[in-house]
Amino acid sequence: MEPLSHQEAADGADPELPPALLPRIGDVAHAGMDEESSAWSVFDISGARGLIARIAAGDMPDGWTRALLDAVRVVDIDDNALRALGPIGGRRRMVGAPVTVYWPAESWPVLAELIFAELADIPGAARTRKIVSSVFNDATVNISTDPAHPDLVFVSVGGSVTDKRSLWSLRASEERYRTLIHHLPWALVLVDSTAMLPIFDELRAAGVSDVGAHLDAHPGLPFESRAIVRVTDANRNAVELFGAGCADQLIGPVDYLFAASPDTAKRVITAHFDGRRNLTEIMKLRTFDGRLRDVQLSITYPTPPERLDVTLLMFEDVTERLQTEVQLRQLQEEYARAARIATLGELASSIAHEVNQPLAAIAMNAETSLRWLARDEPNLAKVEQLTKRIADSARHASEIVQRIRGMAGRHAPNRTALDLNRVVEEALMFVCHDIEARGIQLGVKLDIGLPRVLGDRVQLQQVVVNLLVNSLQALAGRPHSQIEITTSRDGFGGARLSVRDNGPGIAAEDLHRVFEGFFTTKQDGMGIGLAVCQSILAAHGGGISAANQAQGGAFFQVTLPPITD
Amino acid sequence: MSRPVVIAIVDDDRAVREALCELLQVEGMAALGFERAAAFLDRAGEFDCVISDVRMPEMDGLELQRRLRACGSAMPLIFVTSLDDETACAHALRAGAIAWFAKPVADAALLGTLRVVLGNTGGGA
Ligand SMILES: Nc1ncnc2c1ncn2[C@@H]1O[C@H](COP(=O)(O)OP(=O)(O)OP(=O)(O)O)[C@@H](O)[C@H]1O
Ligand SMILES: [Mg+2]
Repeated sequence: MEPLSHQEAADGADPELPPALLPRIGDVAHAGMDEESSAWSVFDISGARGLIARIAAGDMPDGWTRALLDAVRVVDIDDNALRALGPIGGRRRMVGAPVTVYWPAESWPVLAELIFAELADIPGAARTRKIVSSVFNDATVNISTDPAHPDLVFVSVGGSVTDKRSLWSLRASEERYRTLIHHLPWALVLVDSTAMLPIFDELRAAGVSDVGAHLDAHPGLPFESRAIVRVTDANRNAVELFGAGCADQLIGPVDYLFAASPDTAKRVITAHFDGRRNLTEIMKLRTFDGRLRDVQLSITYPTPPERLDVTLLMFEDVTERLQTEVQLRQLQEEYARAARIATLGELASSIAHEVNQPLAAIAMNAETSLRWLARDEPNLAKVEQLTKRIADSARHASEIVQRIRGMAGRHAPNRTALDLNRVVEEALMFVCHDIEARGIQLGVKLDIGLPRVLGDRVQLQQVVVNLLVNSLQALAGRPHSQIEITTSRDGFGGARLSVRDNGPGIAAEDLHRVFEGFFTTKQDGMGIGLAVCQSILAAHGGGISAANQAQGGAFFQVTLPPITD
Repeated sequence: MSRPVVIAIVDDDRAVREALCELLQVEGMAALGFERAAAFLDRAGEFDCVISDVRMPEMDGLELQRRLRACGSAMPLIFVTSLDDETACAHALRAGAIAWFAKPVADAALLGTLRVVLGNTGGGA
């Protein structure tokens, strides 16, 4: 197996580590234990001498075991101890740390008593004690000293290796794990973020619950954190992504990870503070050779009581994907523009069709009347009947023309008590052909108990048409597209109209802007449709709102006040 | 033939439908209007000729034509429509429609065509 990174290289290869102090098989200090069934550590007890002297003099303060172990530092550990006790952060992290950082708390008293007895030279004190271990059955911990190193104690834990969690299987699984990480097709970085825990504890103690807000108020903290939280490992793909020469360059404070995305760093800290398991977001990453990449960051935080206290950061380079998406969006916009032109064409032909119907009826009725009149005995009763129909059709034609004028916005408002359901039906005449032609499923749910509203028929029709046309456009080219138009009573005696579709909906950042004049996301849009709707409703004392549905798609709601006399 | 010629008018627009019926009646033809193509198809056997619109809800005129032919009827079919669609027109004529008139249709043209189609049995008065 290739080493995951330089720091896991063979003992002694790391210049920062002291020469190995660990006893080897055959050494006196080894005490005949089998290398595979014991875990070794070397501790420096010099910092604990004062406390030991005090205790020996009879002053045994509460919590002395912890205080003692806090003062005892790790000097060296063997691979077994590393695996059995140590976090993935590795030997580098453990060396120099107080024993309490990694020694299981349940056996602190045993260890402290052994160290104390050994150093205070308590006559007849045991050098071996039983402890409970997850790695060994019948585990014992043994302590020894070496006159050549008076500040050091050698501690071994041994026993018969447990079946499932034996060192063997631990070692094998760890190897599998490391090989896996190394060869994963994503850039992977392991971070030791335990340094944040005391900071979080302090913040909590100080009553901070919204760390995001706290970070905004204390911009120094993210910087501080980025210096103390360290990358401990990185795989090959990470080296490649960052344009580094080797993994070593990636080991160290995490600040370089977030150099181009300081806001991401804040969210990363916040999610950790909030105890979240995962965080995923797209961020910008500055490589070592100065390139800026778009990457998707996925973080997995360690959650207690997991022993492997390591935060996994995965980066996926999505620069190309995002570029493709932008190109795709441009294409879509061009397509939407073409579709909109088609829509206008179809609207125009719908309108022409609507106007032509009464004109045709007029022409035919006039011709028929002439035929009755041309008879030897003219049938005046028939002529009268047909002439009435001609007048009806002419009025109908002129209404349609009025409506189209209204669409064009030149129309003096004319308030009457209206049935909103009728308005919807009339408006549907203008667009139902388009809706059908595009294979859109239209749901119309009209509340028959709807109260009348005071309004301008043509203007309110225009509101409905504008909403429907927007939905039509939003649905262009999408399968299974649906529009639903509903009327209902509101709780205050007024009427409500809603139009919803299963299109892409409105981007969250655009929601508050869609009613602005000339705001459009369409290549060829004017951005007046909704602005006109809003001003019409304002003039009616009503309102219009835009939202997205939970299941996707836009949702527009119009309210009109009750008639008051 | 003893019974008078009966012509079906299929158009969803009431004003147009009634105007067509009146026009035929003034010339002594019996006409019956249908708002929907399906309702006409149910009673197709009763008619000698059908005048239909093209763009209609539920079932359009071209589908009416297809179904009529599919059940073996050779009934003359004339389209009278506001739809300005050359493709649909060509399609209808190729599929055996007698004529395709744009609304408003000139009365003489429609009546003349009907007379030709229905032969001597056509004109009444
Ligand atoms: N049903 C919808 N689904 C998704 N987005 C919508 C919907 N309706 C409106 N929008 C968004 O609101 C914007 C503004 O709509 P509005 O109708 O005012 O202008 P427009 O459609 O772009 O242009 P025009 O005024 O010419 O119709 C649209 O560009 C679109 O981004
Ligand atoms: Mg619009």
